[in-house]
Amino acid sequence: MRIKTITIGLSAALLAAALAGPTSAQDKPVYGVLLKTLSNPFWGAMEQGIQDGTKEAGVEYFLQAVESDQAAEPQLNTCNTMLQRKPAVMITAAINSTILLPCLKQANEMGIPVVDLDANLDHEIAEKAGVKIAFTIGSDNTAAGGQGADFMAEKLKGKKGSILVIEGLAGNITGQKRAKGFADQLAKVAPDLKVVASLPGDWDRQKAANITNDTMTANPDLVGIFCANDTMALGAVESVYAAGKGGEIVVIGVDGNSDAVKSIKAGRLTASVAQLPYLVGKQAVEKAKEVLAGKTVDKFTYVQTLVLTKELMDAGNDPALQYVK
Amino acid sequence: MTADNSAGAPAPQSGLRDNRFAVRLESVLVLVVLIVALSILSPYFLSVSNFLNILLATSTIGVLGFGATFVIAAAGIDLSLGSVLALSGVVGALSVNALNLPWPVAIVACLAVGAFCGLINGVLNAKAGIPAFIVTLGMLGVARGLGLVFTNGQPVYGMPDPIVFLGQGRPFGVPMPVFIFLAVAIIAHFVLAFTRFGKYAQVIGDNEGAARAMGIQVDRHRIALYVVSGLLAGLAGLLFLARVNSGDPTAGLNYELTAITAAILGGTNLFGGRASVLGTLIGALVMGVLQNGLNLLAVSSFYQQMAIGAVLVLAVWLDQVNRARGQR
Repeated sequence: MRIKTITIGLSAALLAAALAGPTSAQDKPVYGVLLKTLSNPFWGAMEQGIQDGTKEAGVEYFLQAVESDQAAEPQLNTCNTMLQRKPAVMITAAINSTILLPCLKQANEMGIPVVDLDANLDHEIAEKAGVKIAFTIGSDNTAAGGQGADFMAEKLKGKKGSILVIEGLAGNITGQKRAKGFADQLAKVAPDLKVVASLPGDWDRQKAANITNDTMTANPDLVGIFCANDTMALGAVESVYAAGKGGEIVVIGVDGNSDAVKSIKAGRLTASVAQLPYLVGKQAVEKAKEVLAGKTVDKFTYVQTLVLTKELMDAGNDPALQYVK
Repeated sequence: MTADNSAGAPAPQSGLRDNRFAVRLESVLVLVVLIVALSILSPYFLSVSNFLNILLATSTIGVLGFGATFVIAAAGIDLSLGSVLALSGVVGALSVNALNLPWPVAIVACLAVGAFCGLINGVLNAKAGIPAFIVTLGMLGVARGLGLVFTNGQPVYGMPDPIVFLGQGRPFGVPMPVFIFLAVAIIAHFVLAFTRFGKYAQVIGDNEGAARAMGIQVDRHRIALYVVSGLLAGLAGLLFLARVNSGDPTAGLNYELTAITAAILGGTNLFGGRASVLGTLIGALVMGVLQNGLNLLAVSSFYQQMAIGAVLVLAVWLDQVNRARGQR
């Protein structure tokens, strides 16, 4: 019968999928890691750091992510499912500040410590929801924006003109911190550079390119663009070149992802404030191990960020460069 | 779960049929195979707590799927389900959070916003004659945007205890959303399969001209169906709100597609006429079980999407093979 054949085929496919998946040794502690998505080089580098960190720490880990960094409820469901495996610790990068709280509360009740990876949770709200966060580790997004402003001010020293800020997804805390960190610092260090527009680019390359086009039309004296991530910066820089202003307008992104690195090396994108997700992931595992050993750790750990420029990479002697993936 | 083998028997193709509990045998089969296979593959799969987990994870999508089933029954489509879910939850959250109204208002607000969006969809479709696809696509944008405007894009956190109980309470160890989900399934199934309202919907979907000739007030009926689907989206918004204790304007992104998939997987005909809420329940569970199992097996989310897509096509194909055999 046909259905039978297909039934057997389906079972076989599932079996194959299971065998292909990672197998876990039961004698070692298993760390549960929940990321936002894997379809982004940032999280890829993070995973690499976690992998190396767990190897060094001599522990196992299993990693889950959802289809996109917008899939909030699926992430909550995945989190609940992960608890079925009773991990020793839950290292989570929540899609927003509230979505995972019911699951993390349950983790706490099961005696599983919770780590806030990449600083997505709000400690105050988490506490109200009955969630105890063992520690937060990530990049200081406000400081990253500030670093971008310092670089922009230096690059445009003695010049006057308009500046465009392209924010992230409306309401996203990471994007807001970066944009605000940039604008606040720029007002301090470069009063001659005026932010004429601060618009949400929704992390989208195309949208950032359009915003750039429109702003260049409205403000012919545009001299600099700060984007809350690299994807948008790469869109913005294409518009700048298309308008024949390549090299004249300073374009800065944040993240230091591999596409941005390529563009900077090629002399298109001016700079990117690189986060070091590899280090974030690695240190998260190391600190989680300390927590499990009963040691007290700092509530907040901010991993350094680095302004990546062509000069810096060509010189190649900054020790932090080895963590740029 | 009742499942007679009507899919294999030569079933009449009209909307008024007697196989009221019929669900597509293939989707039940797929569900059973999945459960058996996953029980063998993962030591964590076969447990009461995990099954409750699956039901909890399926509850929002399931309720949306029921809404989709009603409109698809009458050959309509509702692409605004996910956005309406978000808007309802946001308005519900704001009603107690910003306006300081008592908690029952949040429940009413969620349902009312959903039903109202459905009403607009229905009127624009049935009275103004704009195709359902366009109207609800428009609503997808408008409702999503409104939710973002109302909240400035930020989740509205913190609901009164009775609301949180609806989402996080566990009477007898069973999550509240699961009770609500199953209760809605029973009611919706009854309405679609046993009442004139439900049967007419399928007649309209099967042959609108015939429905008119029978004296069914097609336009009014259609509007009512969109109100039902909006109402269910509002309920799903309430469940979401209660479960995560916050009104999230980005909630439910692309859920309409998953909800429609659940309906199709359960044997509802995308072009109207044949629809089953019970089938949609099975369809939603197939996806929930698959997702849960693949999560437990730590299969990458990339493959999960492939798996769900493949299962959908497989189930519909099996159904067609069987149907063709039945008609021969």
